Amino acid sequence: MRLPMQELFEKYQGNLYAAAFNVCKNAEDAEDVVQDTFIQYYSLKKEFESEQHIRAWLLRVTINKAKNMNRTFWRRNKQSLEDYMETLSFETPESGELFEAAMNLPEKYRIVIHLFYYEDYSIHEIAGILKLSESNVKVRLSRGRSLLKEKLQEEWENDE
Amino acid sequence: MTNKEKYKQAFSVLQPSGKISLEEERMMIMKKKTRFQIAATAAAVCLAFASGGGIVYAADLGGVQRKIQLWVQGDQTDADIVYNANGSYDLWYENEDGTLEDLHGGGVAIEDDGTERPLTEAELMDHLQQPTVDYKEDGSIWVYYYDQKTDITDQFKDGVCYVLVSNGEKDLYMTVLYEGGWCTSPHKYESPDSFR
Repeated sequence: MRLPMQELFEKYQGNLYAAAFNVCKNAEDAEDVVQDTFIQYYSLKKEFESEQHIRAWLLRVTINKAKNMNRTFWRRNKQSLEDYMETLSFETPESGELFEAAMNLPEKYRIVIHLFYYEDYSIHEIAGILKLSESNVKVRLSRGRSLLKEKLQEEWENDE
Repeated sequence: MTNKEKYKQAFSVLQPSGKISLEEERMMIMKKKTRFQIAATAAAVCLAFASGGGIVYAADLGGVQRKIQLWVQGDQTDADIVYNANGSYDLWYENEDGTLEDLHGGGVAIEDDGTERPLTEAELMDHLQQPTVDYKEDGSIWVYYYDQKTDITDQFKDGVCYVLVSNGEKDLYMTVLYEGGWCTSPHKYESPDSFR
């Protein structure tokens, strides 16, 4: 099956942007990554099994493209994370602190944390998206949580 | 609030600016732009790898499409390639998971008298059949050459690994610098200093 681009765009644009930003830490690079992901969906005449399959594919492609973006010298990096954060309106100061703490995690923990806490994926599903073993995902999730707990103290529950 | 609720609240502030477009004409223009950027990036990598070999790679676009079989991480894969007369190529193939992989590159060869000419198709094909080094997320490092997959993770000494690869007809002596590129020779292991 395939879904119309417009439908996917409306449903997942925000999620893909958040995932791309999570890896790139830069708004313009993240937008380029999301644009490129939709171009790839548009160019590739692949049939999918279900909408969940499309969603996972879009996220995987977005994350891979964002990682590639980090490795190229084309990164624009016009605005630092700190400067960009000043343009964001967090609902509470605690939200801003959590955002900053999460974005300052090492990349390999950051994206696993994001897929678990933002996208509600299970360890098994994250392993499939990132092409990692489940045990590897568990370790990254656990270390990411520990670092968040260390930084946020009582603002972050122990939910191992 | 649960951690998930807190996390979602924190990241809900992230919203794209509205520049992302689904308009077909604009998508095609951006596709070409994206390819150019990737090509230029690939060229820089090629330059680093080729500096000891006398061939300098540069990026360009433009050719005739055909299907070839390419070895990708030890597996033979059908790929489409466009070879351009200016010495560049665009190549793409589908991964097992259906994602499309693009490779771009090309360039010029510098003759003994210093003149430059576009790489020939045979030279580009030779370049594409060279061994590759892949750094995995789990920390392991692999060399791929035709159907060979060699784990070289534990073979580095002082940041340098020497590995002999063969496709059954030809042996290649490979010198790999940890995260610093590699070079090959059919005759001997090149000194790391020759391309460091």
